[in-house]
Amino acid sequence: MFRLHDVSYAYGGSQTGVAALSHVSLDVAQGEFRWLLGPSGAGKSSLLSILSLEVQASSGMVEILGVPVRQARRAGLARLRRRIGAVKQDFGLLPDMSVFDNVALPLRLQHRVEAEIAHEVHAIMKWVGLEHRLEALPPQLSGGEQQRVAIARAVIYRPALLVADEPTNALDERQAGRLMRMFHRLAELGTTIVVATHNDAIVAKYPAPTIELLHGHLVRDHG
Amino acid sequence: MARQRYHDGLALRQALPGRFLPFLVGSMAFLAALALAGGIAAHGLSQRWTHGAGAVTTVQVPSPTDPATATAAMGQTPATRIDAVLATIAATPGITGTHRLSDAELRALLAPWIEQTGDASLPLPAVIELHTAPGQDVAASLLPRLQAQAPGVLMEHDSVWSDRLAALAGSLQACAGLAVLVVMTVAVCVVMAATRAGLLTRRQAIGLIHALGATDSYISGRFATRVGLLALWGGAWGSVLALPMLLALSHLAAPFTAMGDIPATTPDWRDVHAWAALLPPALLWMLVIVPPAAGLTGWATTQLTVRAWLRRLP
Ligand SMILES: Nc1ncnc2c1ncn2[C@@H]1O[C@H](COP(=O)(O)OP(=O)(O)OP(=O)(O)O)[C@@H](O)[C@H]1O
Ligand SMILES: [Mg+2]
Repeated sequence: MFRLHDVSYAYGGSQTGVAALSHVSLDVAQGEFRWLLGPSGAGKSSLLSILSLEVQASSGMVEILGVPVRQARRAGLARLRRRIGAVKQDFGLLPDMSVFDNVALPLRLQHRVEAEIAHEVHAIMKWVGLEHRLEALPPQLSGGEQQRVAIARAVIYRPALLVADEPTNALDERQAGRLMRMFHRLAELGTTIVVATHNDAIVAKYPAPTIELLHGHLVRDHG
Repeated sequence: MARQRYHDGLALRQALPGRFLPFLVGSMAFLAALALAGGIAAHGLSQRWTHGAGAVTTVQVPSPTDPATATAAMGQTPATRIDAVLATIAATPGITGTHRLSDAELRALLAPWIEQTGDASLPLPAVIELHTAPGQDVAASLLPRLQAQAPGVLMEHDSVWSDRLAALAGSLQACAGLAVLVVMTVAVCVVMAATRAGLLTRRQAIGLIHALGATDSYISGRFATRVGLLALWGGAWGSVLALPMLLALSHLAAPFTAMGDIPATTPDWRDVHAWAALLPPALLWMLVIVPPAAGLTGWATTQLTVRAWLRRLP
């Protein structure tokens, strides 16, 4: 769960920078699933970056999984990041590391035993249908395959908060449906999920409460 | 195996290649070892010049067995001049040692002249060697008192030279210290530059594992361990390569240092103990300490560099 109060964000500093978010306030409870909608440039990715602690809000209050972000120390933020999964719009895979190693990365950072890591990686990669591409490098995969690797890495450690930026844009309809069913199951298990998308068809097919942005302003918070 | 190599995405073997840094740190360690050796040698020489033969004051007492012309302290009247002089010297503060040359020593010293005159019964003065504490000028106050007891007493003091040599040795030590400081500064800069280059080549991976929740101390620790080990390795090579150089220099310097009893011949190359005996213990210790010092410096520098760099990430 997370809370934003009067949050603004500007790329390149609040004085001179490009305003991406203005005075956004939100309150999303544990285990909720939310669509994040808005036209291109509305600030969806910026909002998700704040939620995944990739950037700090320029002003306002951000509280994630009960931790007030501005007051937290660096080590505390690192701990918090280990409870957040993020699927980036550009996938964020390391090009010189195998698919296996990319997906195993969060578990390795938690110093899990290698045998356990191998077991979990195989299970999740089987689920996304890529268990035969474990030794490939990300640039050798198609866009949809890379997207599935990014999704696998974001959910492998069962995060308490999952933010996904256009996670279905490179997937076919069948895969997108599988993904939506997994998201709903994760939400049932208590993961708070925010999914940004342009895909009106999928939103219509899987109705859920919606957050809508326009020019960095919150225009709909239907919770 | 690729999986092992990229383990956590930092790929440090690629970010911090295993040759460049040890080579540079090794060169620095080599230079530092030479500078430190110079400092240690200068220290040894200054010790010898201020405490050793250099600071000796020679007192000559003619007709030593004649009765003393004045009483010594404590109201007693020593029978002879030499006894009176010795008693006075013994009661003087600032004198760290006294040695009266025996007749044999004296004859050995004067052999060329005695042989020339051919007179073995020539009356000899008594000669006393005084060792004075550095910087103490006892001669000025002591001489009139000795002359009162034994007319014709002569004193020869060479503290001017020993003081000058000590000052020279001190300057050499300061230069060596400065050289070590400069070398360390350069080494720190080299490590910082190498670390920054490594951070830049793995910028994307660092950003990613930071986003996945890696702590600053984890990332800086991984870099620092790698750099520390490379610096330790380089420092070990620097020390090992400095060793033959220092042995050669010690061999040349042996006659001038406190270790005057070292044979002037070159030891057999197989005789490790003879070679080790050539080096002053301080020098041996220095060679042992240089590699861990290099490793520790590299480790600490990298910790600080990486942590400062990571501050740019939220
Ligand atoms: N790195 C950046 N530097 C400067 N401005 C940026 C940067 N990233 C985004 N912006 C600007 O911030 C605003 C919001 O961008 P953001 O990426 O959050 O939009 P979005 O809703 O995710 O769009 P899209 O649907 O195209 O992904 C836009 O005006 C964009 O130009
Ligand atoms: Mg976006």
